[in-house]
Amino acid sequence: MNKIGLIISREYTTRVRKKTFILMSFLGPLLIVGFILLTAYLSKGNKEKYEILVVDESHLFDSILRNSKKYHLQWAPNDKNYSQIQEIFKKDEKLDLLVYLPVNLIKTNSMTAKCLYKEIPSTGAQKHLSSIINEAIELYRVSYNKIDISTYKSIKTRINLDVVDVENKANRNIQRKAFVGIAFAMFIYAFIFLYSVQVMRGVIEEKTNRIVEIIISSVSTFQLMMAKIIGVGLVGITQFIIWAIVTFIMSITILPTIIPNKYSPSIQMNSEESTDLLNQSLNIDPSNETLQFIIHDIQWSYMVIFFALFFLGGYFLYSGLMAAIGAAVDEEADTQQFLLPLTIPMVFALTMAGKVIDDPSSSLAFWLSEIPFTSPIIMIIRIAMGIGDSSVEIWEIALSLFLLAITFIATTWLSSKIYSKGVLSYGKKASYSDLFKWLKS
Amino acid sequence: MSLNNIIEIEGLHKSYPNHKALDDINLSIEEGKVFGLLGPNGAGKTTLIRIINQILQPDEGIVKFNGEILSRKHSQSIGYLPEERGLYKKMKVGEQALYLAQLKGMSKKEAKEKLNYWFKKLGASDWWNKKIEDLSKGMAQKIQFITTVLHNPKVLILDEPLSGLDPVNSLLIKNEILALKKNKTSIILSTHDMNSVEEICDEVAIINNSKKILQGSIPEIKESYNENLWTVKYKGTQMSFINAVWGGWEMINNESINDHTNQAEIKLLNDFTINNFIKGLIDHVEILEINKKSPSINDVFIKATSDE
Repeated sequence: MNKIGLIISREYTTRVRKKTFILMSFLGPLLIVGFILLTAYLSKGNKEKYEILVVDESHLFDSILRNSKKYHLQWAPNDKNYSQIQEIFKKDEKLDLLVYLPVNLIKTNSMTAKCLYKEIPSTGAQKHLSSIINEAIELYRVSYNKIDISTYKSIKTRINLDVVDVENKANRNIQRKAFVGIAFAMFIYAFIFLYSVQVMRGVIEEKTNRIVEIIISSVSTFQLMMAKIIGVGLVGITQFIIWAIVTFIMSITILPTIIPNKYSPSIQMNSEESTDLLNQSLNIDPSNETLQFIIHDIQWSYMVIFFALFFLGGYFLYSGLMAAIGAAVDEEADTQQFLLPLTIPMVFALTMAGKVIDDPSSSLAFWLSEIPFTSPIIMIIRIAMGIGDSSVEIWEIALSLFLLAITFIATTWLSSKIYSKGVLSYGKKASYSDLFKWLKS
Repeated sequence: MSLNNIIEIEGLHKSYPNHKALDDINLSIEEGKVFGLLGPNGAGKTTLIRIINQILQPDEGIVKFNGEILSRKHSQSIGYLPEERGLYKKMKVGEQALYLAQLKGMSKKEAKEKLNYWFKKLGASDWWNKKIEDLSKGMAQKIQFITTVLHNPKVLILDEPLSGLDPVNSLLIKNEILALKKNKTSIILSTHDMNSVEEICDEVAIINNSKKILQGSIPEIKESYNENLWTVKYKGTQMSFINAVWGGWEMINNESINDHTNQAEIKLLNDFTINNFIKGLIDHVEILEINKKSPSINDVFIKATSDE
């Protein structure tokens, strides 16, 4: 085995044999599945039932305001004024919300209903209340204007807008696909930092235990740095493959037994919740339809290929810089000042993800997916939303990969200059001016 | 170029952003000899060693290895024990030694055989499966020494090889260096331990303020720094000794050994010979012993570096 291969092999084997690697190989998928379950649980809302006290000043709502088990309405006594009722609401621990419907609410559009809370209600609960109040007002006005209720129902529409790409009819509702892109982007973000930090730690270890001088008397500093980056990168790929396999196995074995209703079409379609959803047009439930959408509408082959390419590109870009940081310091505590500028572009990319999803063809989306420091995160989101006219063109992906590769080569060259000086500089905390001097020399 | 020079350094310059580390260094190191590379801290020794190991590149000048311009292929013929040394703490001793041996171009099989020999020789056979962090500093240094010499390098560069070792381990390593010297391994020894230099080295060079200020064999250097100092043990009074010979010498020191016996340290000036001095002295005191005082390498080092 040549020397580079030998170093790659050492970097790889020492890491994959660690107990923490083996533990994380199984804990990681457990955490992912656990996170999915937690998200599913939290998205249902913590409260199973809301006790709601309604102050109806007009006395017109009691017969028309829709009551349900989950959102249980009870009417405030007529002999108390609003401030007295507020006191009752504060004292009664069973009551969660107080809904105040002013006297003119039903007759005019200028009044606002109020909802007082002890603990803030979920957005779902807020939407539900808003929906039933609007529904009640509409029903009152239908009756007041002597309109036949069946006529009203036939007029009342609940249309969903199906947004379809004219060039490619398969591209529809692409914003929904972005959720898969976000998941991939999160993986890219986590893996880039997890493993590039490992490169940095490895460099610090070799520097602090002084073995680096012996190694670089046999291979060049550039070769050592690259071998380390490749070795740790292979560990990352190995871990990802293990996670993918274990997560897949867990998904098809454990998840259905824990949340069978999420996977059973018959139960799903008959559930009370699904009918409620009709009244909450904007609420997306992780239902069977979602699963069907995930399986059929996402271009998985492209996702896997581009995930690998953008992960590797981003990892090589950041790990080269991390290696330079590791070489510039004597201990990990000194890395903070250098790490911050590196984390900002990636965190910025994640925060901009929402705007990119909102308009994936915007110039913001274009530039963030071309600039190499943000492209691994943003481009994978755009790719998930569909390759072609709808979200991202193939030439944009090619350009992004090309820019990533060029920047990786440039930063690795610069990093290796810092690295070769830094690893031999002991006992002194390097400053930015030192790094600049090392780059110039 | 002498055919016997394993390393030749010509016109070497190296500067860092804030200072000059090496300024026109010319050196030749003879094959099979132990070469002492001396100098105060910060003189440029480590930079020179790093250039020979191709860890650093010179700004100017060339280094030749066995008559060829030094290149990466020569790294397998060099063994290097740096002053700032250490090993991977979490890695097992045997695994680590094998790794370092393979980096020096040995096959795994060959490395295993030689490691068994060296581990046995230095009493480290039981440490194969231990982690470095579980060894004492002295034990770890033994392992480091083994990994440095394992591949039978033509040139061995030892930077402070005895620092941090207890007297027993220090003697053990010193004996191994002497054994390597006997086997005609060319050794570059950088140390501040002047006793070891006198004991082990054939030739030395002193670097000070980035310049080579002295090079030669130990006897040559001592001779060049010989100040014509003598010690005279005599019976008689100090007054009689001083008044015996007028001019041509000066008393450095006089020590009373007992009531009648003294030992004087004198320096002969210009062309005044010891014979002339004895002729004058012999009628005044009884001469018991006369010895020429040769400077130690330590004296030479202090004199040479403080003169600069």
